Amino acid sequence: MSNLHCITVVLDDKLVTLNAAVGLLRRRNLPIRSVTFGPHVTEGRSRLFAMIEADEGAAQRVALLFEKLIGVDEARAVPAGATVARELALIHIRAPAESYGELLDVLGLYHADVLEEGPEGLVAEVTGPDTFVLSCLRAVERFGIVDVARSGAVAIERPAESPRAPTSTEAPVP
Amino acid sequence: MTALTEMLTGAQLMCRILLEEGVDVLFGYPGGAIMPFYHALPEYPGLRHILVRHEQAAAHAADGYARASGRAGVCVATSGPGATNLVTGLACAYMDNSPVVAITGQVSRPMLGRDAFQETDIVGVTLPITKWSVLVEDISTLADTMRRAFAVAREGRPGPVLVDVPKDVQNQRIAYCPRAAAPVRRAIPVVEATALNEATRLIAQSERPLILAGHGIILGNASEDLRIFAEHTGIPVITTLLGISAFPEDHPLHLGMPGMHGEVHVNRAIQHADLLIAVGMRFDDRVTGNTAGFARHAKIVHIELDRTEIGKNVQVEVPLVGDAGPILSALTRALAPRSCASWWEEIDGSRRPPYEHFRGDIAPDAILRALHDASGGKCSIVADVGQHQMWVAKYFPYRRLNTHFSSGGLGAMGFAVPAAIGVHLARPDEPVWAISGDGGFQMNMQEMATMVQEGLPIKLAIFNNGYLGMVRQWQQFFHGRRYSATPIWSPDYVKLAEAYGIAGYRVEQGGQIAGAVEAALRDPGPALIEFVIEQEANVYPMIPPGASLSEVIETAPAPEPASA
Repeated sequence: MSNLHCITVVLDDKLVTLNAAVGLLRRRNLPIRSVTFGPHVTEGRSRLFAMIEADEGAAQRVALLFEKLIGVDEARAVPAGATVARELALIHIRAPAESYGELLDVLGLYHADVLEEGPEGLVAEVTGPDTFVLSCLRAVERFGIVDVARSGAVAIERPAESPRAPTSTEAPVP
Repeated sequence: MTALTEMLTGAQLMCRILLEEGVDVLFGYPGGAIMPFYHALPEYPGLRHILVRHEQAAAHAADGYARASGRAGVCVATSGPGATNLVTGLACAYMDNSPVVAITGQVSRPMLGRDAFQETDIVGVTLPITKWSVLVEDISTLADTMRRAFAVAREGRPGPVLVDVPKDVQNQRIAYCPRAAAPVRRAIPVVEATALNEATRLIAQSERPLILAGHGIILGNASEDLRIFAEHTGIPVITTLLGISAFPEDHPLHLGMPGMHGEVHVNRAIQHADLLIAVGMRFDDRVTGNTAGFARHAKIVHIELDRTEIGKNVQVEVPLVGDAGPILSALTRALAPRSCASWWEEIDGSRRPPYEHFRGDIAPDAILRALHDASGGKCSIVADVGQHQMWVAKYFPYRRLNTHFSSGGLGAMGFAVPAAIGVHLARPDEPVWAISGDGGFQMNMQEMATMVQEGLPIKLAIFNNGYLGMVRQWQQFFHGRRYSATPIWSPDYVKLAEAYGIAGYRVEQGGQIAGAVEAALRDPGPALIEFVIEQEANVYPMIPPGASLSEVIETAPAPEPASA
């Protein structure tokens, strides 16, 4: 069984607090799958997500360690299965005229939006669980990927009575 | 019209807040980026400044002061090298939960980030070894930051804080506002009744219980509650290295020190116990040995202020998170009086006669007994790190609360001499002994000059065996006697003392111990005694690193036959 836990930390938006938070993750010597950082709904606050491989006790201890940092308002550790996680990728793909229609078909399978188009290529946006995003990247690889920007996972806890199965990668992968 | 508000520079404001926070002494060293602060300092005669010879000593002295006084210790340094020299002392205070406030100068704000002269990102450097490390970005936040620094250092589980103040902020001017209100203290968690009941049940049912008392007893002023709890239940009390002097060693319920250099019957008791009541300690690996083989028959009740310590190193049956004193007294109230007579019989049956392993007559235990007897035990002992540290822990009979000081978690050689300066300033009316090996003494012996200049009558004892003794012992036991880089030359300490203008004594025979100790104590100033001890004396018993508490070494391994 996976011991993947999602740690969500609400902290002030000072870089030194982010520095301290990331330093804590490094110092406690935990296997980290991903770290992402973004704004929080409250002004002046940020939100850090870390996916770590740790058992329940260790994950809860990490959350408590975060809460000891000055500048951290709140930290929670929940099993990855109790969260819904999404990632966004912006993909710059070569799109010569002869394969253009085929590429749009493939992107359509992934509900990807085309954001920018030029004579040599396009930029598409795809969102989904990390496996879904990776699958999309594999599918468009043969057209020629110029560059990819991935956001890393952001996650949020499921509603308490969520009818959906508690798996982290529930979206169908074409 | 006269101004109603008092205008202060940032530097003056810093001094005012130090006074507000009850600071009367600070340890420091001036330099370019902290000069405005030093310019203001003479205007505040309530702040006594101790000029050290190296900033590391300032941090250790502030730590020693904090440990002995129970108040925050303050150290001051300039930017760059001044600040980085504080790092070892801050790491030491962090590991041992000592409330130290470090104030550092920083280059002026327009120079920040340009690799200016003596610019170091000391906030970044110290983030992992402080409770809080902060750059003051504007004078408008200086007062609040300083006040908060003291609150953070003291509250909950204490620890060091660093406040980095750019030189131009020290020169900015602002109206002084007295503190609006006393800082709000973070609420100490209340222990749930179910957990207390469960702990009570486990203690009542246990047949072979032990108390493991740590530094938290001293930090939490819980020694009296501990004594009452122990006497009510008859449970043997083990004190960890930093728990030494939390419980009187002449008390019949005192058992000794556990772990790597704990007595055999103490570690054996842990291995046979069915319940450990751990109070204000964190199951350091020097206490547990290999955790897989630690106290395998025991359930653990862990009384601890910091929730993140619960279950970190060992599995805990019942965590009681909160203040040790109230929790211990709640347990005392809930439990019927009992004794542990048959358990004591079992433990006493495994006691051994004291080891007779010191050769020659200047044995470490004899020296420590002499130090104790000369002042009737009314003295504070500051140990450095190494073999003598373990002898100080094992052989000095501590009967008075909080009279033993040691760099426990960090194990920082060079701690004793400067930390003793801080202990002395907190306790000017009783003798303070800094006990070092010849290695650790040479790490911070420059502080003798501080003692002379500031008139601090600290007594220095050097256990000189010509080796970095603890490392040599490990080389003897585990590295085939290859004494790589452990023989260490010393200067003539008596002449060195003379050069600093203080009394110096060399003791080479057992008969000279008492006389030298008495003479050193009689001297009104600092004094130094060099004890020339057996070169290859060892600390016994010993649990090899990584082994379980059951795997004890009680004699040196036979030397390997010389190869042809």
